[in-house]
Order: sequence, then C-alpha cells, then structure tokens
Amino acid sequence: MTRQRTLFSGLLAAMLALLVVGCAPKRKPEVSTGPPPPPRTAIEPLDTGDVNKMGGEGVTGADVAGSGEGGPMADVRFGFDQSSLTDEARAILAKNAQWLQAHRDARVTVEGHCDERGTVEYNLALGEQRARAARDYLVSLGVQASRLRTVSFGKERPLDNGHGEDAWARNRRAHFAVTR
Amino acid sequence: MEPTESRSRASSSPLLSLLGGLALLAVGGYLASGVKAAQGTVQAPPTTLIFSGGVQRFAIPDCIARAGDEAGREACRTVSQVLRSDLRFEIDQNQFVPEASMSFIAALDPDAPKFKDWESIGAGYLVITKASVTQGRLQVELRVHFVSSGQAMLQKAYSASVENPRIIAHQAADDILALTQIKGVARSKIAFVSDRDSTKDRRVKELYLMDYDGFNQRRWTVNNSLNILPTWGPDGRSLAYVSYRQGTPMLFQALLCEARSVANISGEKGSQAFAPSWSPDGKKIAFASDRSGNMDVWVVNADGSGARNLTSNAASEMAPCWSPTGQEIAFTSNRTGAPQLFVMDADGLNVRRLTQYGSYNDACAWSPAKDRGEIAFTSRIDSGFEVAVLDIASGEVRQITEGRGSCEYPTWAPNGRHLAFSCNRSGTWQITVSDRDGRNVQSLAAGPGNNVQPDWGVAAACPVG
Repeated sequence: MTRQRTLFSGLLAAMLALLVVGCAPKRKPEVSTGPPPPPRTAIEPLDTGDVNKMGGEGVTGADVAGSGEGGPMADVRFGFDQSSLTDEARAILAKNAQWLQAHRDARVTVEGHCDERGTVEYNLALGEQRARAARDYLVSLGVQASRLRTVSFGKERPLDNGHGEDAWARNRRAHFAVTR
Repeated sequence: MEPTESRSRASSSPLLSLLGGLALLAVGGYLASGVKAAQGTVQAPPTTLIFSGGVQRFAIPDCIARAGDEAGREACRTVSQVLRSDLRFEIDQNQFVPEASMSFIAALDPDAPKFKDWESIGAGYLVITKASVTQGRLQVELRVHFVSSGQAMLQKAYSASVENPRIIAHQAADDILALTQIKGVARSKIAFVSDRDSTKDRRVKELYLMDYDGFNQRRWTVNNSLNILPTWGPDGRSLAYVSYRQGTPMLFQALLCEARSVANISGEKGSQAFAPSWSPDGKKIAFASDRSGNMDVWVVNADGSGARNLTSNAASEMAPCWSPTGQEIAFTSNRTGAPQLFVMDADGLNVRRLTQYGSYNDACAWSPAKDRGEIAFTSRIDSGFEVAVLDIASGEVRQITEGRGSCEYPTWAPNGRHLAFSCNRSGTWQITVSDRDGRNVQSLAAGPGNNVQPDWGVAAACPVG
C-alpha cells in the first residue's frame, strides 16, 4: 500500500513536471552551457492569420456619380488657395441656377476640387469651402438648399493630371454633378 | 565573466564606460537568471544587451540548409538577406561584422561553432540560422550565441510556407532586436493609397497593405471609387479610412480578418467625414466633419455613438492625431489665416498653438514613443512641402526631408524610430522611409502609379479556424 502510494505520488510528480515543462512560455530564450544542444524550443508557425494573406475586401459597388467631369452645368474656377467667388464665377453660377430652375427635379452634388499643391487634409478642407461657397450662392439665387449636396474631393481627383499653371487652374474648381 | 572584460576594454569615454557598466550589470543579471533556468525554475527574459562602443558586433553568417535540400538552400538565401536587412534597419552599420571578413575563417559548423574564430574577426554575437523544407513547409532554427562564452542567449524555431521565408526572417529579426531593448518593427505593416488601378476613363484610389519593407503589396479595397486616409486601429486587425463609394465621403472600418468593411462608423447623416484617428485605447475615433456647417474636429465612440464637436469655431479644423497617452489631440486649424498645428485636451478644452514656424503646417503624426514628445508634420518650405518634426517641450523643429519636389504625410514606425511619408522626387509619389533624424532615406514600394498616405501600424494575426 505504502509502495503503491509512493509509486502513485511519483507518477503524479512526473506528470506535474511534464505539465510545467509543457506550459513553459514559448517566447523565453533558453540558455545553455557547453556545445549547443539540438533545439528544444517549440516551433512557432508564423504565416497563419497574417492579415496580408487573408485576402482583400470583396468587390463592392461604387457610386460612379461625382466623376468630376461633364454634365449640363459649367465648372466654377477659384484662385490659388481661395474659396471666394470671382465675378466670372458668379456669372456661371447664375446660369447654373437658371438650369436648376428649369429642371426642378434635378438634385445636384456640388463638388469642391483643388490643385495638387498643398497637403491632403488642407485641400479636403479647402475643397469643402469651395463647394460651400458655390452652393450658398446658388441658394441665394433661389435654388432650394435641399436639392444641393456638397462633397469635397480635395486634390484627390484632378480634372487635369498635368503639373503646370494651366492644369492647376483647371483643377481649382467647383463641379456640378446631377445625381437625379 | 569574460564578456564583461572585453566590454570594459571598449570603454574609451565616460559615456561608454557607463554603457559598459550597464552591460556588465545586464550580463550578470542574465547569467544569474540563466542559472536559475538550468535548475528548472521559469527564467526571466534577459533584461538588456547593450552595445558598447561597437566592439560587441553581430556576425550573421549565411543560413545553412539541410544537406541536399535544394528548396531549403533557396529559402536560406532570402532568410539571410532579409534578416540582415531587418537588423541593419534598426542597428548602426558599425555593429555588424562585414560579410567579407567571414571568408577569412573556417566555414561555420552550425552545430559546433568555433567561437575563437568568430572572436578573431570581431564578432560579439553569432547569429546562426539553419533551414529545411519538408512538404512545402520551411522550418528555420535560430540561435544567437555570446561569442566570448559560447552560451546560447536565444534559441528559437519557426515554420512557414516555403513561399514565405521573409516572415520567418522578420520574426527572427524582431526576436533578436528584443535582446537589445529595441522593439522591432519587422513584422509591422504599412497601409497606403494607390492609384495604380486607374484606367484612362476611371481614376480610382484603392487601399493597399504591405510589409514594412515594401514587400508583399496587396490591394485591399476593390470598388473603383476613392478610398483614402487609412489609419490602423490599435487592435492591429482593422483600418479606419475614408471612402467615396456611396457618393459622400464617410468613415469606413476595414475588418482585415473578415475581408469586409463596415460603412459609416461615425454615424454621419448626409454630411462628410475625413481624416480618422484612433485613440490609443481603440475606444474613440477623432475625425473631421462638416456636419455643423464647416469643417471641425469631432470625436465619436468606436461604435458610432456619442459624436461630439471638439472645435466649434468659424475656421476650418482638420487632421486630428491623438497623443500616445490618449489625453491630447493635435490638429490643424486655419484660424490664424493659414494652416497651423494646435493641440487641445481630448475633451476639446485648453487649446494651444503648437507651430509658430512657417506659413503652412498640416498633417500631424504624434510619435508613439511616449518619452520623446515629438510630432511629425508637413510644412511648406519655399515652393515645396517637406516633412518636419516638432519637439513639443522645446518648440524646436527639425526638418526631415529636403530636396526637389515635395514630401508629405508622415507616419511613425510603431516604435518611433523611423518615419514613413510620401515623396514625388522621382516624378511620381512613392512611399519613402527615413530614420527619425531624416537619415537613411529610402524609397519603398516603387510600385506602379502614385503611392501615397502611408500609415504604419502593428498588424495582429487573425484568429485561425
């Protein structure tokens, strides 16, 4: 009986020892003296669950409105780093307001765009100011505000991919995309 | 205690003596813990391993493949090259034994290294890698020895698909760097925006992910719209970004492990949202929105509830970035007539101007290194834009980039030791990396098209199964 109990507790101790060894943290470096022993470290599999290997997002529908070009209304241009309306801009907006009065079902996205100079974020804010300036003027001419929505594109979708004064001037604009 | 002697010899200045002394302490502590480990108790990891005066140098001989293992030999070439490049990214060049001098000693026997030989060419630490390929799985064993004592200070084994030897080298590099108290970023990733998928009639910007060194580029969004301003969530498994896919720019959350996005996480109703920035605890997102009539910095709970305007102001406020403590938010405001950086408490109070310098400063990125107190940003200098870093305490600014064209949109490496940004020096915009002083500038990802708006983060593994 005593021997059995000794045997049993011996076994228990061995199992516990195994358990302790088995649970030893994997990431702790091991130290050895003398010639290097064969590796006793658990093998870490590294490529499971890598976010770069999980696949990208599936194809999702894009709203193709707001392409930044064309449509029945002309663009309004702005000076460098400006969101104020010039006389020429007001004249164009007056014509656009006429078109909107003649097409009372139309809803319009007023897009504000910038040239490539300047930072991403500042241009998004500037584009918003341009879109709002154009929208507010159309409203002052009697267009219902609920028909107009503003979207800033900053410098993210230039009309002209060039890098000179002409391209920049074309890209500093408010564009009017009819969404319905 | 041989190693400490060679360290002391290297100490030729008070600073180096101090370092040598620290190294002595560290090594002593390390050996003590090693003894405990031999007796079966759980050992503490070595607290530190400090370089002193360039004497204790790394030797990284070529990885050795199992005899006759052609696939292993091929993988070995990549493992050695990537491991060296990862370590050189963080550690000064003069801390490495030149590969050329390894040809003066006998070829490495990985199972019985002749440490005296390695000592003779100035090696302090010997990094041994062995590889084998079995059924498409690459297995690599890593051992790092103190050359002076022959002791193994690090011993690990990794496996991955044979297609992916780089990931093994990256993990090995980060494990080695941990011994030097550098939290490596070799496993980190950079999210960015590319227009490479545009066609003549359809100009698109899609989100991409890549390893920190520009490899393994992968397209993430596929919607032919504009997807911009990605920012890593602190969980390492998500990005917040801005997408125009529903017409109005709004915040989306990319769930990287589920290959899908959640729309409109800031709960916008018909208004626009830009420039998301996660609080360090992941509970809140600061962003810019026009929902109060002009652009302001807002904050919202990560579940979309509790949106609050932090900058009710007639000027435009934009581009928020959180401090690593989560207690402050820096941002851009044009309230003085031109864009400048400001900072406020996270509740919107106590606004102070940060940049007194230059006519145009934007795009803050607060260093994740809490002890440094630095903010990187984009600044107009002459006719172009450059990346600069503000030391908050002193107010001093150091210019990081300089040259033809522009660099903008900085992001910090997760350990605060490097910066990534986008430069158009080559004619197209490309992601570029430098150390935090602006040295060692290198262009990554010279992929097709323009590659912009990098955001550098720690990616976590997705749950498997």
